[in-house]
Amino acid sequence: MTTPTRIYRWDLDKTYLQTEFDTFRQLVKTAFQKAHEKKAVPGAAALIRELKAAGNTRLCIVSGSPTQMRTVLTEKLKLDGVEFDELVLKDNLRNLVRGRFKALRGQVGYKLPVLLESRARAPQDAEEVLFGDDAEADAFIYSLYADMIARRVSEPVVYQVLEAAEVYPDDITRIIEQWKTIPQADPVRRIFIMLDRLTPPAYFSKYGPRVVPIFNYFQAALVLLGDRHLSATQVLKVTIELVQTAGYNLLTLSNSFQDLARRGLPLADVAQSLTEALQGPAAMLQMVRPVPDIIAAFSKRVASLGAQPPAPPARDIDYLSLLDDARPRDKKRTRFE
Amino acid sequence: MSRPVTIAFDVMGGDHGPAEVVRGAAQLTLDSDSIHVLLVGDRQQIDEALSQVRHNAEHLAVHHTPDWVAMHEKPTVALDQKPNASVLLAAKLVHDGEADAMVSSGNTGAGVLSCARTFSLMPGVRRAALATVYPTATHRGEKNDPFSLILDVGATVDATADDLVAFAVMGSAYARIISKNKDPSVALLSNGTEAMKGPPRVVEANARLSTLAGVRFIGNIEGVDIPKGTADVVVCDGFVGNVCLKMLEGVSETVIELARYAYKEKLLWRAGIAMLSSGIERIKEVTDWEQYGGAPILGFDKLFIKAHGRSRARAITNAGKVAAKAVSRDLTRVITEGLPKS
Repeated sequence: MTTPTRIYRWDLDKTYLQTEFDTFRQLVKTAFQKAHEKKAVPGAAALIRELKAAGNTRLCIVSGSPTQMRTVLTEKLKLDGVEFDELVLKDNLRNLVRGRFKALRGQVGYKLPVLLESRARAPQDAEEVLFGDDAEADAFIYSLYADMIARRVSEPVVYQVLEAAEVYPDDITRIIEQWKTIPQADPVRRIFIMLDRLTPPAYFSKYGPRVVPIFNYFQAALVLLGDRHLSATQVLKVTIELVQTAGYNLLTLSNSFQDLARRGLPLADVAQSLTEALQGPAAMLQMVRPVPDIIAAFSKRVASLGAQPPAPPARDIDYLSLLDDARPRDKKRTRFE
Repeated sequence: MSRPVTIAFDVMGGDHGPAEVVRGAAQLTLDSDSIHVLLVGDRQQIDEALSQVRHNAEHLAVHHTPDWVAMHEKPTVALDQKPNASVLLAAKLVHDGEADAMVSSGNTGAGVLSCARTFSLMPGVRRAALATVYPTATHRGEKNDPFSLILDVGATVDATADDLVAFAVMGSAYARIISKNKDPSVALLSNGTEAMKGPPRVVEANARLSTLAGVRFIGNIEGVDIPKGTADVVVCDGFVGNVCLKMLEGVSETVIELARYAYKEKLLWRAGIAMLSSGIERIKEVTDWEQYGGAPILGFDKLFIKAHGRSRARAITNAGKVAAKAVSRDLTRVITEGLPKS
């Protein structure tokens, strides 16, 4: 068995699966859906398959879905050809029995210890890329997790954050104890936030350039190509799935490309790699022809921006000023039109 | 799924600055899967505005230019000096096929001139017409629309009989497509309802429209018929149309001023106005120009929707929807087919 060097951590609902649970009716529908009725977010399965194809990787899924859904979720992932290494689900029945009602909706008190426990089992040199969404508190939790391991955040701040997020005292103790067992490292390379609610990407700039909000998995694939987690051919495979299964076209893809460029992500090398891959002889790529039109569309979108926008600046995250992001969705104060 | 349509928005130049235009265009990316928006203007200001609003970046692109034409600038001079002005660049992008139609809430003259310099007139159209909508007492079409369409209101001051006939065809086609009015009534604005009344060009246009197939011509109407809604489409030259439009706007403003005066003057009058307030609100609702978004410049091979300078986001969104509807229902082809063959 090879030592894992890259860990990809995924949320499920709204990150991997197109799930609606805003109303009680939707919640019931989701609970009773069969595996084949569940729909993955376009491109998610292809992206995971390509990331896993590198071999030296682990796929760890942590979801707020109840443990009772394990069978159906496992079956769905299998149908999509996704092989996972960990699948952690939320034991809400236990929370209910113990009268822990705050824990039913709380995300910080559930996900943070799960992430830390998983990290404690991982090799110290393993890099991580995390995938979440903008529906709950993923950007906050993932960033806090990354900064806790890197010791960029102090214990008193973690305490204050957990208390403000209404985490039960014994869970706070468990989190802090778990944290202390993990050797200091800085493994989290990227945090992708799928914009299910179309939150403006700029909203996440307070989390620094490590957090990349995405409108689709083509954008994630582009960034991962730049980060050398994927090859250009693998990015094209993800793109083909988006085109074939979700109606993506030259316009939506080139707009997505420009959106990342406007945010200052360096895409020059990425564009060059993609161009070379498109011009390659691989039979698989015949379906994405005509190549000159594709290259022209992307080039135009970049040229129309004028000068290359500056890269987003690195910054320390002030978690205490971001506590609103840690609240359950229905208690958040920030709302966008 | 309908075919994707891209609308270029001149982001600069409106009374409320780029933020309102960007907000309106951003909303369009949420409202429709088939509409794409191309924002033409200063990238930094556009990005700042986008950072405040939900939008779908898959349906949105930016074309950066730092130049724009302000409301007070003389269009010819401004466009000569600024070949990359946002309104002119938007028109060029439409011409080059990067977008299908354009929307601007900036300087009207610069918008029309940008179209004239960039687009071609349709075969059979000698001059373009600027159309506008006006609230009337009559409702029409599938949408129970209270607005009638008036054209031309300023683009062609010296229209010939040929031009007036072309305006009638264009206005009729536009009302059919946008107002979902299957058979709109079309009238010439004159100084009497009789066919022989008016200057020679109006008399000649009347005679030709009376026999033109595809347009339900109801003859001449007088100024008093405009607010009554006697015709769904009112045709006139740009000089008359502009004078008429300004007068109607002046009357509306005077009525509002009088109401304000009355409100302050006597308690009894104030009580009367208060009692009428819900009715006044309802009238305001049904005659809200923002629901229409903007006025089309008709006659070019590409469409330009001129949104009001005061347009807020909602009006901009609706202007984009009108433009997209006109493109997806092939307004240009419908107009071309309706024009008299020489």
